[in-house]
Amino acid sequence: MAGGGFDAPESGGGLHKQKKYKKGKKIGVRIDMTPMVDVIMLLLTFFILTTTLNTPQIMQINLPKGDESDKIKVDMGDVLYIRVSETGKVYFSRGLSDGTEAPPETVTFENMKNKIEAIYASNPKLLILLKFDRKMKYNFMVDILDEINRAAIEKRYSFMKMEDADKEIVTKAGG
Amino acid sequence: MKKARSIKKPGVNIDMTPLVDVIMLLLTFFMLVATFKVESTEAIEVKLPESVVTDTTKLPEKDIMTLTLTKAGDVFLDVDNYKVKEKVFGDPFGVGLFHPDSTSKSEYETTGGSVGGKPFKRKVTIMNRAQFEKALVDLRVALKNETNGKSDFRIVLKGDMDTDYGIVEDLMAIFKTTRNTRFALVTDVKSDKKE
Repeated sequence: MAGGGFDAPESGGGLHKQKKYKKGKKIGVRIDMTPMVDVIMLLLTFFILTTTLNTPQIMQINLPKGDESDKIKVDMGDVLYIRVSETGKVYFSRGLSDGTEAPPETVTFENMKNKIEAIYASNPKLLILLKFDRKMKYNFMVDILDEINRAAIEKRYSFMKMEDADKEIVTKAGG
Repeated sequence: MKKARSIKKPGVNIDMTPLVDVIMLLLTFFMLVATFKVESTEAIEVKLPESVVTDTTKLPEKDIMTLTLTKAGDVFLDVDNYKVKEKVFGDPFGVGLFHPDSTSKSEYETTGGSVGGKPFKRKVTIMNRAQFEKALVDLRVALKNETNGKSDFRIVLKGDMDTDYGIVEDLMAIFKTTRNTRFALVTDVKSDKKE
C-alpha cells in the first residue's frame, strides 16, 4: 500500500511467514509426467507387439478361360513335361516334333532353374506342362512354381492331370 | 540472492517433454499401422509355403475370397464382406466347409468342431461339391449386387505346406467349371535368398 511507513497490523507479524511460504512455492505449474510416460510406454509396447507388418505376398495364376472343347494346338517340339512323383522326384522330358517324347530324365531341385533356362535358350517357344502327383505336397508345388518364375524365361506353363500313363513313365524312370 | 535461489531447483530435474513427444509420435504411427485381423478363417492356423518370386504382388486389402486349405484336407471358404456372407451363409460370421476327398470325412466333422486341435467357434456350413460350386458363384453375384457391379472378389488360396496337391488340383478343376480363371496363392516371403 502506498504511503507513510504505516504497516498494516497483520503484515507486521505476517511478513516473515509470507516470505517462508513464497520460498516453498515453485515458479509456474510443474506437472509430473512420469505416470503419463508410463501409460504411453505401455500402449506403445502393446501396439508394437500386436502389429504384424509383413503382409503376405501372392502368386498369381491364370487358368485358361475356354471350355474343354476349344483346345489349343501346340507343336510337341515346344513342350517340356515336368512330372513330379509322389515322393517329390522331378522328371523332365521334352516333346519331340514327331509327337512322341524323349525319355524322362531326373533333375534335382537345385538344378531345375538352370535346366529350364538352358532348354528355353534352345527353344524360346517353350511351353511347360506340369504334371504333379496328387499325393505330392502343396509346398513342393509352390517351390516348383517359384523356380519357374525365377528362371529368366517368358513364363508359359499350365497344369495337367497326372494320368496313369504318366505315373508309369515316372515309375519306369525310377519312382 | 533470493531470485537466484528460487531459479536453482533442488535435485536434478529432467525435462521429459521431448521424450513424451517422440513416444507419442511412435504411438500414433503404430496405432495407424496396426490392422487387427478379424476375419473368421484367420483363426485357422496354416503354415504358408515360402516363395522368392520377383514379380510379386501384395495381398489385396479388401474384396478377397479366401480358401483356406488345412493339413487334413478341408477347404474353408470365407469372404471379407459380412453383408455378402449373411446373404449366402445366413450368418455374417459363417464360413463354408468343403472336403474334396470323398473317401474320408472332414476333420471338422470327425473331431466334432475343431480345426487343427483348436475348437472353431464360427458357424460352419458343410457343403458338398455342387453346393461349393454354387457358393463360389453366389458369393460373387452377391457382392456384385451389393456394390452395383463395381467390385469383384479376388480368389486367394491359403494352403498349408503339408496339404496334398490333389486338393489344389480339385479346386483348380472347380475354378474352371465356375469360370473363376484367376486366382492367387498366398505365400510367405522366403527369408534366406539362395542365389
